[in-house]
Amino acid sequence: MITEVMRQEIGEILARYPEGRQRSGILPALYVIQREFGYCPVEAQDELAEILGIAPAEVGAVVGFYNMLHAEPKGEYHIEVCTNVPCMLRGGNQCLHNFENTLGIHHGEKTDDGQFALDHMECLGSCGTAPMAIVTDQKSGQIRYFENLSSAEDVGRVIQLLKAGDGFAELARWTPQADPGNEGTADTPYRTGGMEPRYLMARLNEADSHRIETYEADGGYETARRVLSEVEPADMVEEIKASGIRGRGGAGFPTGIKWGFLPQGVFPRYLVVNADESEPGTFKDRIIMEYDPHQLIEGIILSAHAIESEKAFIYIRGEYYFAYTRMEAALAEATEKGYLGDNVFGSGKKLDVVLHRGAGAYECGEETAQLSSLEGYRGQPRLKPPFPAVEGLYAKPTIVNNVESICNVTHVMRLGVEWYKGFGTDRSPGMRIFCLSGNVKRPGLYELPHATPLSVLVNEYGGGPQDEGSAIKAIVPGGLSMKLLKPDQFDTPLDFESVTEAGSLLGSAGVIAIDERTSMVEIARRTLGFYREESCGKCTPCREGTAWLEKILLRIEEGQGRGKDLELMEYIADNIAGKSFCPFGEASVWGLQSNLLKYRDEFSAQIESSNPDEVVPELPIRPAYRPDVHEPSGLRDSTFAPSGGNIVLHDDLISADD
Amino acid sequence: MAENVTLTINEQEVSVPARTLLVDAARMAGIEIPVFCSHPKLDPVGCCRMCLVEVDGPRGTAMMASCTMPVGDGMVVRTDTEQVQTVQEANLAFILLNHPLDCPICDKGGECPLQDQTMRFGPGISQLIEPKRLAKKHYDISDTIVLDQERCVLCWRCIRYLEEWEDKPQLGLFERGNDTIVDIQDGRPVDAKTGGNIIDLCPVGALTNRVSRFAYRPWEIERTPSVCMHCSMGCNLRLDTRTHQLRRIVGRENMQVNDQWICDKGRFAHGWVNDEKRLTAPLLRKNGELTPVQWSEALAFVADRLKSIREQRGPDSIGAIGSGKVSNEANYALQRFMRAVIGSNNIDHRDGGEVAAIATGVPALAELMKPQYGPDPKVDTVLLFGIDPSEELPVLDLHLKRALLRGGGKLIIAHPRKIELTKYDGPYLVCLPGEEAALISRLSRAVQDGGAADDSGPVAEAAGLLAASDSALIIYGPMAARGEGGPAVRAGLAGLAQAAGQGARLAYAGLDGNAQGCRDMGVLPDRLPGHASLDDNNLRERIETLWSCSLSSSAGYTYKQMLDSQEMRALVVMGADPADESPDWAAGLEDLDLLVVCDLFLTETAQKADVVLPAAGWAEGDGTFTNLERRVQRAPKAVTDPKSRAAPDWMILTHLAKQMDAAWPFADARSVTSEIAEIVPGYAGLTWEALGDQGIQWDAESVAVATAAPTDQVGEEEVAAGTDADGEYPLTLVSGTVLYDGGTLFRLTEQMQGMAHGATVSLNPADAVDIGVEAGAPVRVQSDVGSLELTVAVDEQVQPGSAWIPESLAGAPVGALLNGGYRQRVRLERR
Repeated sequence: MITEVMRQEIGEILARYPEGRQRSGILPALYVIQREFGYCPVEAQDELAEILGIAPAEVGAVVGFYNMLHAEPKGEYHIEVCTNVPCMLRGGNQCLHNFENTLGIHHGEKTDDGQFALDHMECLGSCGTAPMAIVTDQKSGQIRYFENLSSAEDVGRVIQLLKAGDGFAELARWTPQADPGNEGTADTPYRTGGMEPRYLMARLNEADSHRIETYEADGGYETARRVLSEVEPADMVEEIKASGIRGRGGAGFPTGIKWGFLPQGVFPRYLVVNADESEPGTFKDRIIMEYDPHQLIEGIILSAHAIESEKAFIYIRGEYYFAYTRMEAALAEATEKGYLGDNVFGSGKKLDVVLHRGAGAYECGEETAQLSSLEGYRGQPRLKPPFPAVEGLYAKPTIVNNVESICNVTHVMRLGVEWYKGFGTDRSPGMRIFCLSGNVKRPGLYELPHATPLSVLVNEYGGGPQDEGSAIKAIVPGGLSMKLLKPDQFDTPLDFESVTEAGSLLGSAGVIAIDERTSMVEIARRTLGFYREESCGKCTPCREGTAWLEKILLRIEEGQGRGKDLELMEYIADNIAGKSFCPFGEASVWGLQSNLLKYRDEFSAQIESSNPDEVVPELPIRPAYRPDVHEPSGLRDSTFAPSGGNIVLHDDLISADD
Repeated sequence: MAENVTLTINEQEVSVPARTLLVDAARMAGIEIPVFCSHPKLDPVGCCRMCLVEVDGPRGTAMMASCTMPVGDGMVVRTDTEQVQTVQEANLAFILLNHPLDCPICDKGGECPLQDQTMRFGPGISQLIEPKRLAKKHYDISDTIVLDQERCVLCWRCIRYLEEWEDKPQLGLFERGNDTIVDIQDGRPVDAKTGGNIIDLCPVGALTNRVSRFAYRPWEIERTPSVCMHCSMGCNLRLDTRTHQLRRIVGRENMQVNDQWICDKGRFAHGWVNDEKRLTAPLLRKNGELTPVQWSEALAFVADRLKSIREQRGPDSIGAIGSGKVSNEANYALQRFMRAVIGSNNIDHRDGGEVAAIATGVPALAELMKPQYGPDPKVDTVLLFGIDPSEELPVLDLHLKRALLRGGGKLIIAHPRKIELTKYDGPYLVCLPGEEAALISRLSRAVQDGGAADDSGPVAEAAGLLAASDSALIIYGPMAARGEGGPAVRAGLAGLAQAAGQGARLAYAGLDGNAQGCRDMGVLPDRLPGHASLDDNNLRERIETLWSCSLSSSAGYTYKQMLDSQEMRALVVMGADPADESPDWAAGLEDLDLLVVCDLFLTETAQKADVVLPAAGWAEGDGTFTNLERRVQRAPKAVTDPKSRAAPDWMILTHLAKQMDAAWPFADARSVTSEIAEIVPGYAGLTWEALGDQGIQWDAESVAVATAAPTDQVGEEEVAAGTDADGEYPLTLVSGTVLYDGGTLFRLTEQMQGMAHGATVSLNPADAVDIGVEAGAPVRVQSDVGSLELTVAVDEQVQPGSAWIPESLAGAPVGALLNGGYRQRVRLERR
């Protein structure tokens, strides 16, 4: 089933990975198969298993895990509309309905002619331009973002474009505003702002900001060139430690300290750039990779130098196809110039960067799950310890850093530790890209120093409530996982310590504003829906508990809630948090826990108004019954009869019939 | 020796070796922590979260998974607090959320860890009022295993077993999140040969036994420990019986033999035990028809005929064939009958006198059979010579894979086929029948050259590995050492073992369940019990005194000689079916003055008999079996068929001896064992009490191992089967054992019939093209002694110039081509 041409392409993909680690190429190889057949037929999976030297079930298990790999055909154009909370707040559900009405199909279905398939989807990293959808062109495997689809007309234009075959004229995002003639032309980066000057987002709006010439004209790669020849790796690690950069992926772990965990003298070491940006409300890494890829590459060169790694992987979110092409082109430019490859800047050092696409799994943002995925397995987390710094990718010392963290490294090495520490607070130094979404006037990316008050971000930069008549009643400060802040907490400075003190976490700095128009029950239900969908399924509490919570919330929304459901949900949430295998489980209920605590009256009101008599099908409660467990069970396990048993009078047997 | 660390669990001080997992440390201290995913034989995964306990840490008390956390010195752990209990209750609530609770119709009900833990640790109430998730229920993932995805609690034990032990990840987790399920890849059933172990491992009723489905309730069955007789591993089993029927077989732990694993043939292929075609009454040929008679009539007839033949033609006109399929007691009684009552050494068994087996297994083999959990293997290099563990000894196959994958062991394979284990990239040496001695001598020379031969082929590579090894082990099987060339092969291998720097690291693996015991008992024409030579006067005198007889001092006929010889007038055949092996033998058996067959079924041979005596099978009799590493193990009686008059072999022979005026002191099987312990030096002092439920390994030192000095006598020119590639018969016939053959012991388990090896002749793809046949083509395979109608299969494992036809294919006995021989050339004709 897999043709010679495909085999060759797959062979080239597999060759990018270290010898003996060809299984790592399973996702890109499956993309080749899916592009060819429109899905991953079992026969092709089995053939791929043979190519990789693994069992067919191992390929099937991988296909089943990732959202973007299909076991059945999806149609020429696969449309996926984000309905996650940030989009929902700005009309994501209506946008989905608009697609349904335009196409005449329900989500989860395909048009009769097989041209369009429609699904609703979790956060796609476009929260500042909600509502939005992505479209996958099956023939080419390309994915394009269609954003700001606020009206039915906008949706109609998208369908028109696709039908006319112009939907993929460009890969950069499409918006109605940028394309009045409906010709498929592209839009520039979305709204950015913040302090002046900006560092992480300095070039985004320049023409050709993604080209190496633009970057170099701005002093790009000078730092890396200098550091590689002048600064010893160990000294650079010390500098990064001194700068106090904290991880921008969510956990906020100090980058330099993480690097310091590498065991002495153990090689090879790997650098894995976590570009699997998936936390709802977060869309900063995408824009860096799309419009300033060289900033990231320079950071990679510097970080790889510091940790003495000769091979780096960029694990990029599967849906970020445009960013993928931009990164690919930028890597080629840098390699062409000798900034990557066998002799980086003529220093004699080697650095090979492999760009690796994920395939749609939130869990793969967790570092050990990402390593599992990168090794070609289901993206499920692994036991810690051993920590990745000791035994990570291919059981070798590995550093996993977020895109923005790595970009910060460049600026620290360029402008110095003292300069860097001039921003933010002592323990949360530096600047930060805040991703503002939800019910504000100007959602977008704002680069600001740490400790900027939340209200300044929301009101001064974000322009305050989206709807003049509806006040903002809740804010998620660090991506959908984090606990909600109430209006009396809106002055909290946005640094790690202050947000923690306020009872939440700064996380990935995805700030989602929720106004009075949306029910907190719906927020809770949609949040749990996300975690139910994205739980990797490895451990019991997270796998079962999130689904149970969603079912209860759905029931409450549908008017079958009971007063005791609130305690039940708290009980379930308490027994997921801290009991799951990885931090995902805990994060899956933080939002709900804070929601139930701070907005309980909304839940009670919903239950009381929709179901005053609490009529729900009650199952009979069985009495608790525990036998005395210390007594013998009475069950006989295998025992020998007394040795030899009774003497058989053999004549009884043989001569009985005489 | 790992250092001990001391920790506190529930205020109790516990001292355990460092690196012990907390869950195991608690178990050692008698504290139970409930688990689902954790299993002592599998790597920890920590996914079920049932085993969370409180651990005091620098940042306060935390709930930690005790199944993944190694103990630390001074650790303070609590498993009995309110918090732990709350978490256990909640986690069980999570696990039970989507569990269908169809316990009344679940085979696991009554022996289900989920049930037990729900009772002990569960919340007692259900708070779920939402509908349960639906998934695929009871569908077959192989011919023998049924999966119910709704019952599954996703503990990964089955997945991990297939990955970690079988190295065949045929089950996986599919989908994600709440939809996660365990499944096979579409169209790829589980075919790992020990796959059935996942049923024993499953902590719920998600995986059930298709052969035993709905055939028992755990509380109704009798459980008898036993050992398996399908191959010579001697895996420990438990036989579950009810109402005189064997309902189910499960694995039983024996860390010296099978860990706790058994193969699928051992687990599922027991349909024959209660099959209605079992012989239940003695049969005597009257007017040409086998007619049921009383025992007394049958035995009297046999005794009279034997007496008169002995008088007229002398004792050496009578012979007996024993079997590696029956117990030590049966074999011992048979050889005593031949030697003491008849007065002849005409006693042998298939793969007996014709095969140059060494007398004992060696300690190195026993080392390999111990569980291989990690690095530091006791055996670093294994040479498999003419033996295919994947088909012949599936649990040895498991041990070998662990030794390779976890112990870093090296594997060298010399075999006519490129067998499954060659996938581990060790050197593979093609060795068609007849080429054994020549190959060994090339290998020996290469080893003597220090493995530094210029030749970079597999022989040089193998020699290099052997030369570099500190603890090599060579295992050979009957395939490699049959016929006249056998002694040379054995001597050559012994020499090779010595050349590799380690003497006595040569092991022989017989194929039948009691192949070793059968030889130990002296069912050999030139050996007394205990492998003693016929002129061992010391033993001889002891035996003569004990048996009150005088023993013949001339060697008897071998198995093949008895069947070939015109001198033989009477044969007693016990548990063997020579008629199936050769048309000539089948014809010859009809010419005998007396043929007595003692068996379970009316075999080809039994159909030609004058008297057929119904034997009690392995599950119905009590006796001992000796496995390939000399472990004597007891298989007690587990079932009785009240309608059957079948009797144990030793008992039949005792009565026959009595009819022939010999009074044997055997009152039961145990008294036979006692006499064996008296006669056979290695078995000295062995009693049923001492055997217990784990058996005893007899001391290899008690037998002088007949390892001949290294020999250079065999030259490369001596390639036996001939090389007349252009001649009339262009292909070398390769036969041997497959696990799922057409033999009675497999075929009668209805559910497994689809797994049986087809009636095919397999060819190398190149040969198939040359000959002009394709897979599925009907052909006649012709040798100079006979022909067989088969269909062609094309198989890369089969080497060029050879044709592979396994033994015991239903309706297609390869004996028709071999006619009792070992080497044969064949040609194919399209039908």
